[in-house]
Amino acid sequence: MVGYLARRLLSALGILLLISLFTYVIFFLLSPDPAVLICGKTCTPDRIDQIRGTLGLDQPFWVQFWDFLRGFFVGRTYGDGASAVSCPAPCLGFSFQTNRSVTEMIETRLPVSATVALGAAVLWLLAGVGAGLLSAVKQGTWWDRGAMMFALGGISLPNYFVALILQYVLVVQMQILPFPSAVPFGEDPVRWFQSYLMPWLVLAFGYAAVYARLVRANVLDTLGENFLRTARAKGLSGRLILRRHALRPSLTPVVTMFGMDFAGLLGGALITETVFGLNGVGKLAADSIAKNDQPVIMGVTLLAAFFVVIGNVIVDITYTFLDPRVRIATR
Amino acid sequence: MNKRNVVLGLALTATLALTACSGGGGTSSNGGGGGGTGADPGDGGTLHVLQTADFSHLDPTMGFDGGVNNFYRLIYRTLTTQSTGEGAEGTEIVPDLATDLGTPSEDGLTWTFTLKDDIFFEDGSPITSADVKFGVERSFDPELAIGTPYARLTLAGADEYEGPYSDGDFASIETPDEKTIVFHLAKPYNDFSSVVGQNVFVPFPADGDVTATSVDQQPIASGPYRVESYTPGSELTLVRNEHWEKSSDDVRAAKPDSFVWTFGLDGATIDERMIAGQDDDVNAIAGSVQAASISRIQTPAIKDRTVSGVQGCTTYLGLNTTKQYTSNPLVRQAISYAIDKSAVQSATGGTLLADIATTMLPPTIAGQKEFDLYPSEDNAGDVEKATELLAEAGYPDGFPLVLDVRNQPKMQAQAEAVQQSLSKVGIDVSFNLIDTATYYEVIGTTSQQNDAAITGWCPDWSTGATFLPPLFDGRQIYEKGNSNIAQINDPAVNARIDEINAMTDLDEANAAWGDLDEQIAELAPTVPLLFEKAVMVVGENVAGAYSHAGFSGGIDYVSVGLENASE
Repeated sequence: MVGYLARRLLSALGILLLISLFTYVIFFLLSPDPAVLICGKTCTPDRIDQIRGTLGLDQPFWVQFWDFLRGFFVGRTYGDGASAVSCPAPCLGFSFQTNRSVTEMIETRLPVSATVALGAAVLWLLAGVGAGLLSAVKQGTWWDRGAMMFALGGISLPNYFVALILQYVLVVQMQILPFPSAVPFGEDPVRWFQSYLMPWLVLAFGYAAVYARLVRANVLDTLGENFLRTARAKGLSGRLILRRHALRPSLTPVVTMFGMDFAGLLGGALITETVFGLNGVGKLAADSIAKNDQPVIMGVTLLAAFFVVIGNVIVDITYTFLDPRVRIATR
Repeated sequence: MNKRNVVLGLALTATLALTACSGGGGTSSNGGGGGGTGADPGDGGTLHVLQTADFSHLDPTMGFDGGVNNFYRLIYRTLTTQSTGEGAEGTEIVPDLATDLGTPSEDGLTWTFTLKDDIFFEDGSPITSADVKFGVERSFDPELAIGTPYARLTLAGADEYEGPYSDGDFASIETPDEKTIVFHLAKPYNDFSSVVGQNVFVPFPADGDVTATSVDQQPIASGPYRVESYTPGSELTLVRNEHWEKSSDDVRAAKPDSFVWTFGLDGATIDERMIAGQDDDVNAIAGSVQAASISRIQTPAIKDRTVSGVQGCTTYLGLNTTKQYTSNPLVRQAISYAIDKSAVQSATGGTLLADIATTMLPPTIAGQKEFDLYPSEDNAGDVEKATELLAEAGYPDGFPLVLDVRNQPKMQAQAEAVQQSLSKVGIDVSFNLIDTATYYEVIGTTSQQNDAAITGWCPDWSTGATFLPPLFDGRQIYEKGNSNIAQINDPAVNARIDEINAMTDLDEANAAWGDLDEQIAELAPTVPLLFEKAVMVVGENVAGAYSHAGFSGGIDYVSVGLENASE
């Protein structure tokens, strides 16, 4: 088990390194010169060279990449003499646009994205698994059809659309909720809940739909399995069969999906955060792409990749507990 | 008013609302009509500003665009500054920290300014000439030198000086006593009074511990407000700088007790909030509404809360004079005749969002001359005249033309209008769509430019001096970061630019820029399309809001306030 864990973590690290190399290549080599963008109006070639020097863009690619990696693990110092700026590990560099530390920018925004992700996850797990079970157990009834209609809506309506409709109805027309803003929990818990409620609902609606369909299909599959026929033949009650024998095999794929989805969301819900003006990591990504702010794009990309890779590892480990067959294979 | 190309692009896109600004004094009725906007603001209260993007920098040596320049006036002062009021009234340069607009020496190489009394930093220490000098010196530090370039362009010895942190004292600025500051220029510059109104002339304590990077984190106020708290990307709060003396300041009304910015809001959401006007939003202002929201602000109640004005910029079509077809002046003139400017205007959102331009210099520029060398009925394009010119040029059947277009709805719509008008004279326009983030960089790189591009220019202050030379001086064509996108290099134009720059009489120079605009138009290197406007909805309790043409049409912050401070 320890060996398995070590192998998984090592390969995760390898993947992250590869991703950082790829993103570095894409953003630093293939995209246009950020120095020109910063230089802006009334620009001269000398100024561009000067800015390139300040940003370290005049260095060869491998040097830049190595400095970046080293900065991440041990920190680095930019500039020299009086204007030297130190960037402690994990250093992701400084924004080209604002000169702020990318690590700090992400740190201040991560709580917002985490709040969005957590709240939405709770909602969609409850709604998705609940609706899926209901559908499966009451297969063919109006319950089933209703739940599946709901799921179809969740899958087919784009979330920016749902977001705008919801905002229009709840905030502008009915005035039940205020316009969302990232109010910290400690400042005003009621306002906090009101502010995050819409983003949670919007995200959860989309995800719950997928989960409901998945759970329904899995439970129906499992209920058709031979071992459940046996259980029924032995006279176990329907409720017990469902709880004891059908649920566990049906829900293991949900764990995989949940791990990946939740991890992906931690890296920022780009559209939802942008629509609701929540300053999370997703909004940061959108803004930095609009401004071609490469270090920030790089930072948020790596963060998202990190969560997905780590999420993957956690899912795999969880699996070994949930599914005895996997446990044997990993020994 | 000054903006980097990038930000210029942002300003020109109504979707990315620039900073809303507050404006001054309720001196005149505004574009949208009376209501609370025209009333005089009372003292006190908190004014809220809803904004899509955070300010680029709090350090004035780095920030340089219409939105942030407007904001800087709340916390910083410069030797001179723009006045307040609508249109050209607001873009006039008036004294700020200095007692007057400065005195040039006989040879025009030395400018002397005297500081007013009762001017203080936020800690109560008096602002001296040494502090102004230090502020300018800082801007030469390579790390900070991304803001307005005019100190570097005008002062003697600027090429060799790299700021106080590495090179110490800058010999071109003298401070004979605490109240007097003397600038030595590389060559005469008739409009140096405007130069010292630029952001890099903000004072910072010379004997304090101000470092290259500290101001961006913790600004030191010389204006009526100071930064109380700042969460980058989210929120900024200004409170009164108790040491600012109203008696020393003729420009800033500074009525509210505090300002609160909320950043990172979606443009559509801002419009929604401003239209709804609930809760604190009655005390809020914001940037220009999106074109899509224009139809929704036509109700009488909202019109009463609407402010509009020109951005002080020009949207134009640049014709690359190094390309096969567009190198021919007859072809460029034909294009100038052919374009249906009213269609471009409709594509931009109609008369509410843009006026039609026939000159490159916008109407807010001092000395702007009105003319239309390529007239057509209702500005709908003169197909006959254009066809004639094309035949004369040897292209009776037209030719293909590649237009660089920013991948953004409004600019695409403008490009389509251009495409349709040119198809009537046989010119087959195809689009080269470029990502919004890199558009200005691509068209500013001579090797990547195509035949034509739609872009815009905002002057750094309202004279031709910061408008015509960057766009038409043939000696300022750079491989990268180029602003002369027509790449026109006409000896007569170049010579005239030098002559006007050497004039000592500012009024004479301004009028000469107006004439030069016409001289350039004869060569048709660009087709002026529109003077775009900013349209803003303000909260019900907001008073004294007007659109300032020196700040991309944003609401003048130093003049706006609340009608009833207790609300």
